[in-house]
Formats: sequence, structure tokens, C-alpha cells
Amino acid sequence: MPNFQPYLQSPLVNFNLPALTVPADASQKVRANELPLLGYIVLRGDLSDAAVAQAISQATGLAVPAASRFSSGEAGVLIWQSPDECLLITARAAVPALLAACGKHFDGLFAQAVDNSGGLTTVYLSGVEHVTLLRHLGVYDFESIEAGDAASTVLGKAGGLVCRVDGDGVFLVIRRSFADYLWLLITKAAIPYRFAVAKLPSAGKSPFLRLVDAGSPSKRPVAA
Amino acid sequence: MFQIHCPHCGATREEEEFSYAGEAYIPRPANPEEATEAEWGDYLFMRKNTRGWFWEQWQHTAGCRKVFAVKRNTVSYEIAGTWTLAAGKELYLKESEA
Repeated sequence: MPNFQPYLQSPLVNFNLPALTVPADASQKVRANELPLLGYIVLRGDLSDAAVAQAISQATGLAVPAASRFSSGEAGVLIWQSPDECLLITARAAVPALLAACGKHFDGLFAQAVDNSGGLTTVYLSGVEHVTLLRHLGVYDFESIEAGDAASTVLGKAGGLVCRVDGDGVFLVIRRSFADYLWLLITKAAIPYRFAVAKLPSAGKSPFLRLVDAGSPSKRPVAA
Repeated sequence: MFQIHCPHCGATREEEEFSYAGEAYIPRPANPEEATEAEWGDYLFMRKNTRGWFWEQWQHTAGCRKVFAVKRNTVSYEIAGTWTLAAGKELYLKESEA
């Protein structure tokens, strides 16, 4: 196939977010933007099994999180999803090495690491009224989500993970197939709150924001 | 609308996050090769349709995606408790013996 030129593109590419992005300011009561093209790895295995928990910690360098919580570190963010499943969010470039490390440490265990980078994306929602906006989207008690919590719940008619790092905002981990729907829902529900597609804050120590490649384009070629 | 406690997440959440998964603890015929058509018919189609306390399965579809057992009153919608399938089965068997 001489003309096959694979490429990556963000699930929200059609909204052309980089062109709409404006600097953040206090008048915007709800701000959102996408963290495009991160790496997502699903880790399966009984987390109550000490051998599996140890293998996950050794492969990723992250502690296995408690129920409905997440842990973070050098490799990225490890989110609890169920008693036998975690989601590892990492930089896209780090995915092959982490998959190889998991393969090595999971050898002989009933555990599995699956690359799901094409299936998910993350949206950062912030601003003083971001919790009010979440209340428009779902039935969960969103004000009860504290730093370090990862709530898996319903947003509109789609499922989503809501993770809070600090009081400024939340990270929504959503499926590619529902990304358009949820983005439209967010932008529509946020109209009364002076919504803006704002520039992401500087990464600092934020475990999510520092995973975004500097100048990450919404579309990029893949080495075959 | 009611709230259900998920024994896997250890959290009480809205019904909207869950999906109903039918009557709980229906045993599959022990010897499938020798089971009669009537036994297969019972296993596949016959349900209790209880008025009152009823053991049923719910799945936490928007959360941990696990199926678990719920004892619910079909008249008042009151929930007596929720258990993992293994933990609930002991209680269910004890109750059905009594």
C-alpha cells in the first residue's frame, strides 16, 4: 500500500479548538479545552491480588489507587475503574515502553495491559462555575468530588470519568465515540456562564497537564 | 428513581448509572446433555414475577461495570441490601431454604 499514510487526530478535531482558543481570564465562568492525543492503557487483573498490584506498581512506578480514586507520578495517572481494572493515562510517546514494561511484569499472572489510546480523550473543565455546569450534565453529586477522586458516572447519555486534581477544575475522560456529543453538550450548557475555549494553564506539577506534548497538533503523522 | 449501593465501588449512586439485569440466581440445568426441553424452557423463559421481596441483579454500567445482587421489594421499591453475587448467594440460599 504505497499511498497508506496513517495519522493521528484528536476526536474533537472538527471543532478546530486550537483556532478558537483564547487566553483565560476571570470573566469566563466556565472554561474548557481538550488535552489532545494522550496515551490510554487499560490494565486488567484482580487488584486485591498482591502479586498483580505489585506488578502494576513495578511496571508503571505508580501506586495502585483505592476505589474511586487515582494516583499519579512520573509515568502519568492511574485511575481506579473497578475491582479488576485500572486506566493508565500517560504521554502518547510513552505508550510503547509502558506496554512493554507491563508485558514483562505481567508474565505468568492473570493480568493484561491493552492500548486504548485511540478510544478516549480528556477535556479540562475549569472556571468558578464548572461544578454548576457539571450539574447540568449528570446526576452525580459533583460538589462531593475531592482532590484525588475519580468518579465514573453518566454525563448526558454517555459515560465519563470525572477526576479532580485541585479546586480549579476537573478532567473529564470521555470516549472518542461520544466526544462530539459531549463537547456540544458542554458548550450548550455553558452558554449562561460566559463559556470560552481557554488556553490550558501551564502544566506545572499537574499530573494531567504535563502529559500533553508541547505544541501538540490536533493531527499528526504516524511513523508506519 | 431510587439510589443503589454498589458493593464493588462502595458508593451509593443514582439508579441512572445502573442497568437492570433480571432475576438473580437462576441455576443452569446441571446436566445440559440430559436436560429435557421443559427444563430448558424453564431455565430460559420462566421467571418468578414476585410481588414483594425479590432477588435481582443490577449492573453498574456507568461505574465499575460489575453485576451484583440486590434484594428489592417490588411493591414499595425498598432495597434490603446489595451484595456481590458470591456474598448474596449464601443469603439467598438460606432464605429459600427457610
